[in-house]
Parts: sequence; structure tokens; C-alpha cells
Amino acid sequence: MAVQNLIETTNLTKQYGKIRCVNSLHMQVPPGAVYGFLGPNGAGKSTTLKMILGLAKPTDGSITLFGTKMNARNRISLLSDTGSLIESPSYYGHLTGEENLHILQTLKGCPKKNIDEVLRIVRLTEARKKKVSHYSLGMKQRLGLAAALLGFPKLLILDEPTNGLDPAGIQEMRELIRTLPLEYGMTVVVSSHLLSEIDQMADHVGIISKGRLVYQDTLDSLHSHARQQLALRTDQTATVLSLLKQDGIEVEKEEDYLLFPMVNDSCTAHLCRRLIQQGVSLYRVEKREKSLEDIFLKLTGKEESL
Amino acid sequence: MKTLQLEFYKIKRRKVWLTMLAMLSAQMLWGLWALRNPGDRELQSGWLVLLYDLSMLDSIMLPTMMSILASRLADIEHKGCTYKQLKTLRSAGSLYHAKAVCGFLIIAVMLIIQFAFFISLGYYLGYEGNPDLKYYLLSYLLKLTANLSLFLLQLALSMLFANQMIPMAAGLGGSMTALLLSFVKTSSFLPWGGNLSASLVHADWNPDARIITYFYRTFSTREQAAVVCIFVWAAIFYVSGRIMFTRREL
Repeated sequence: MAVQNLIETTNLTKQYGKIRCVNSLHMQVPPGAVYGFLGPNGAGKSTTLKMILGLAKPTDGSITLFGTKMNARNRISLLSDTGSLIESPSYYGHLTGEENLHILQTLKGCPKKNIDEVLRIVRLTEARKKKVSHYSLGMKQRLGLAAALLGFPKLLILDEPTNGLDPAGIQEMRELIRTLPLEYGMTVVVSSHLLSEIDQMADHVGIISKGRLVYQDTLDSLHSHARQQLALRTDQTATVLSLLKQDGIEVEKEEDYLLFPMVNDSCTAHLCRRLIQQGVSLYRVEKREKSLEDIFLKLTGKEESL
Repeated sequence: MKTLQLEFYKIKRRKVWLTMLAMLSAQMLWGLWALRNPGDRELQSGWLVLLYDLSMLDSIMLPTMMSILASRLADIEHKGCTYKQLKTLRSAGSLYHAKAVCGFLIIAVMLIIQFAFFISLGYYLGYEGNPDLKYYLLSYLLKLTANLSLFLLQLALSMLFANQMIPMAAGLGGSMTALLLSFVKTSSFLPWGGNLSASLVHADWNPDARIITYFYRTFSTREQAAVVCIFVWAAIFYVSGRIMFTRREL
């Protein structure tokens, strides 16, 4: 039987004291996807990812990885095909980059040649003999990614992987993440509080706010919500509303404005003419664009962290 | 086994051995200074004096030494935030076990060096006869357990607290406690009294003759219980430390 979702959480909940950081989360990550896990700071992204990796114990709910329900006994074997980078890179500063990877290569039981390969991918080949304490923040982040890639796992979990990188490094990291499913057959879960970042990398998106998953679908589907609208302000809102409804036009009221789907110029002219003939005074006719940011803000109810 | 090998690989360039040897060197220097020019009485009971003096020295110095060792082993993980990666590759219990075994082996080797140095010093100073192997071996094993229990206490603290000042303070406090105990007791149920409890030699001070007579101790029931307590502490510290580390969320 083919595995439908690589990660599936059911009713996943994490509570610290009286605070519910993650609340009944139903996350579904299909194989081969770059799943963007998006949410404002403190929304519960890292806690969710930690629970998936078994680093935090769920208060309630379950996690299914590769089609098998995870428990304390099978956790390590299930995670053997997983690579992760959570919050900040893990490293031993007194050891070289290569020695750091040697430790993980031994623990993962993967071939030694993988070290050369991942160092090449993250462009750290030349710095391999240098102590990690002498690395820049960006180099440490790249080493963290190399460590996650080391066993070329089926599933890669990256928590804000572009933290600490310079603009060129950020772009490079995004490019790399995008190519991982095609080049290595990996499924990637990448968290971020930046919508633009997820927009550039992911093909699936889950939006979390205050511990709740408020949206989950393909990125294309999210884009389809980002539609253009025509906004109309008149002196007789109620009359115009009933008039448009009679014509079968979907209208929504927003403060003094009436919003309805964008139509072409001749239709707009025809509509305006008709309203004027009905004695309606037109104050404003505007084109409104609902961006991904607007949708994100509407879903999360936050006007920050974008 | 792989995890244990990696523990030694991880402490490469951390100068853990050097730190331990520095502490041992202090004991050795003390030995060279304090035991120089022995009189006839010292030459006669020299092997007993050595065991007695080592117990006193160890009870004061080793709690600090154990806290340094545990801290050096655990600190590398805290500094690099490596637990969150390691715990996805190995069970927390096996990680803890590897650290404990690594520390145990270092202590075992360190005590072998200590015994080898002081026995050599005894021969160099011309102590009469040979060291009683049975007592020296038993003393080594008891000392190893006593310090292992202290190490396991410190390891639990060092693994749980990222700020190493907390376990280090506990280690120094342990040394102070041991110093106080050494003035008033020959054995104690406290973990820091383990080196005293494990001492096989007793010293009897005669104020009139102003001489100290050394002899192998006969353990009372209470003193025997204090020795058993060393093993109990080691087991308690290992099990509780491991459970707390395993349950700890990141």
C-alpha cells in the first residue's frame, strides 16, 4: 500500500501549564512536497516540528510518520530516514566541520563519501578542516543543513533554515530546498514566518496561528484566493447591493464599499451607466487587489512578522 | 559501543585528560613534598600512611575534580545545542549511558595513574616491604565507586543545567562538605563522604607520645552500612539522572 502522507498528525496538541501552544493540529504532508509551514513568531511552528521529531512529548493526539504511528519504541527507527535542522544548527565548536559530520555519519551509519557530497552541496568543502567555532553564522547554518542532508533522508525537517544567512545565502538556500525533491527524492518541511520565503520555495502550505492550523492546501490554491476585486462607493449602498444581487453578482460589503469580482472595462462602464440611470451617485470606483499577505493576515489575524 | 567511541571522539581537543592530570599533578607534588625524608616509623608503616593520606586528599579534591570532569563532558553538548540532533539519532537513555561510561573509564584510568605514582613513590622512598595488594586493590575499587557516585551526581546536574556554574558550585560545595567531614568523622552516609567511608586505614593520634599509629580498620556495622551506601548512591544518581535526562523536553 502506497504511503499517502509522509507526515500526518491527528489532533496534535501541546500544552505548557495553562497555555496551549499547539491546538488539535491536523497536518498532512504529502510525499515529494516542499511543505511550507508558515506562521507568525510564537505560533507553535517549532513546537510542532519538535513533537514530530520526538523532542517534545505531545499532550494529546498522534503523529504518523511514513505511514506508521510514532511511539517511544519505534521513534528512533522511524526517524532514521529523517534529517532535521531545528531553530539553530547543532555543532561541536572545538571540532572541524568534517569531524562534526563524521560523528553524525557514524551515528546514522551512512557511507563516508556522503560527507564529501553534502559539504559540496552546501559549499563548505574548503572550510572542512576549519574548527566550527571559527565559522561565520551563515557557515554554521550551512553546516547544519549539511548535517540534515547527510544520510540523504526521505524527509527533511527545516525550522527557519535561512536564519543568519546573508541575502545571497538566503537565495541559495531557497534554490537548494526547491531542488531537493527533484534531485534527491526528498520531502521537505520548511518553517518560516516569512510568507514571501514560503511563496518562493513551497508547493504546499500550512498556516498556523495561535497553535491552530488555519489553512492547509497547495500554494496554488492559496494563490487563487489572491484575486482582484472592484470596489464601489455610492450614496445608496443598500439599493446598489440589492440591484447587483438581482443581477446575480456576488457582492460583499466592507465598510462603505461594495466589493465584487473584477470584470472587464466594458462591463464596468455598463454597470456604472446603469447605476447612474437609477439615480445613484457614484463616489468612487476602485480596483482592489487581495494579496497573499492580506490572506495571511486575515487567516492569522496578525499584522506583524511579515 | 559506537556511541561510547564517539564520546571519546567528541572530547578531542577539549583537554579533558590534561585537566584531570593537572589535578593529579597537584596531589603528586603534595606527595613529593609531604612524604619526603621519612623517619623510621614512616618507613615501617609507609604503605598504610599512603592509603590513609590518599583517602584524605581524595575526599577533599575529588568532588571538585568530578564536577570538572562531568562539566567538560556535558558542556560540549550544551554549547553547540547538540542534544536536539543527537536525540533524533539515538535514544536519550543510550546517550546518557555513553557519557556515564566515558566518565567512568576516565576516572578508572586516572586512579590507576594515581595509585601507580604513589606506589612508585613508596618504593623510591624505601618503604619497608611491599604494599598489601589485597588492601590496595580493594581500596582502588571502593575509591572508584565512591568517585563514580560523585561523578554521576555531577553528570546529572551538568546534563540538566546548561549553565555549568550550578553543577560546579555543587562540586565545590561537595569538597567543602568533605573537608568538614574529614575533621569530625571517619565515615559518612553523605555522597561526599564516600572517600572517607572507603578508607581502609585508620590513624590513631596519641597526644602524650605525640605519635600517630596507622592500622587497617575494623568496620563497625554502621561503617559497613556507610560503605554499602556508596554503591547505593551510585545507583540512585545514575538511575535518577538518566530518567530526568530522558524525560527532559527540548
